[in-house]
Amino acid sequence: MTKRNRLIAGALLAIAFTPLATAAQEHSLSISVKNHQFQPAQISAPANVPIVLTVKNLDPTPMEFESVSLRVEKVITGGGTGTVRLRPLSAGSYKFFDDFHQQTNGVLVVR
Amino acid sequence: MRIARGLRALVFAAPFFIGMARAQDADPYLRDIETKYIFGITEGSGIGLEGEKEFSPEMFASFGKGGGSRYFGSETKLEYEFTPNQYVQFELGPLVSAHSIKDVAGLDNRNDVAFGGIFGEMRYQLLDRGPSPLAVTLSVEPVWRRIDETSGVHVTNFEFETKVNADFELVPNRLYIGSNLLYEPEMTKDPDHVGAGWAMESTGGVSGALSYRILPQVFLGGELWYLHHYDGAWFNNYTGSATYLGPTLYVQITPKIFMTAAWNTQIRGTEADDPTQRLNLTEFSRQRAKFKVAVEF
Repeated sequence: MTKRNRLIAGALLAIAFTPLATAAQEHSLSISVKNHQFQPAQISAPANVPIVLTVKNLDPTPMEFESVSLRVEKVITGGGTGTVRLRPLSAGSYKFFDDFHQQTNGVLVVR
Repeated sequence: MRIARGLRALVFAAPFFIGMARAQDADPYLRDIETKYIFGITEGSGIGLEGEKEFSPEMFASFGKGGGSRYFGSETKLEYEFTPNQYVQFELGPLVSAHSIKDVAGLDNRNDVAFGGIFGEMRYQLLDRGPSPLAVTLSVEPVWRRIDETSGVHVTNFEFETKVNADFELVPNRLYIGSNLLYEPEMTKDPDHVGAGWAMESTGGVSGALSYRILPQVFLGGELWYLHHYDGAWFNNYTGSATYLGPTLYVQITPKIFMTAAWNTQIRGTEADDPTQRLNLTEFSRQRAKFKVAVEF
């Protein structure tokens, strides 16, 4: 492989593995769970930017953060913290819940 | 006539279900639903949740062929499904093939269960359900078979099923309409064991389905399929068609276990070689069914 071809291959690989948005464009959010309730139960974020959601489980038992419309699920141990990365979303409301405790519900409002 | 009746039933059922759904749509925490499996044989646009893994046996069975006293053929996928990110889903696994055939013209009598082959599937969401209630997914499914789906004979067969799965949320979390567009080319090496080469064929089709959430954990619906069969991989020579109609069911048994079932009856068929036939039982079966139980982990 010539040097030129190696450069082209390297550039293509870099493009393929570069996230669509950089960390500077991400929007960070945080939410807690205590006594099997999301606190706050409603959070909001801007549309069309990647979102990094930190979920702190303040209960001693594990929880599973889950959302069909956000297309994620993540188990978080009792007393643990989990990070959920969300794709850029269109404006709207996206429900989430704890799959281990079905009464634990919340909503992400994207504007 | 039967097709028109089936279509009329689906069309007339829609406003009834919409009215019922609007009247009942009072629960703000009615769970969102993964639409992939709520339409029976028609597949919805869902691609699962990032981090989710699932194991499921999924049986697709055919019943009834022309003139036979008994025809049953099934292919069961032992399916492992996973979603590595929020855009794409993969499935793969072995196939178990089963046949029970007696006195069917053109087919040997047999009662067999065997390892049937291997399949893989990739699904990519083309259009996300966001402000619009429409979602669209492209799926491609390469399959290698060592047992012919219809006859149960040992063969070498490759299939490449390509589908566009679309669904539309008519009433949020209550009523959905789904549609599939199918292109399924396949090639079989010397299928009649006469020293011939590869035989190519293709199936094209379109489906429409309605699914209504009758209970928080239960969806009931109906689907209509219109299928064409051709010799040749690119819809070369038309050989016949079939129209199927039937009910569908989806039950969320626990938060991590669900089942889905569908039954389709051929209500109209045509054969290019015999225009007098009212059904096509050469390329298609009289009845077909799907049954799946899935466990997520």
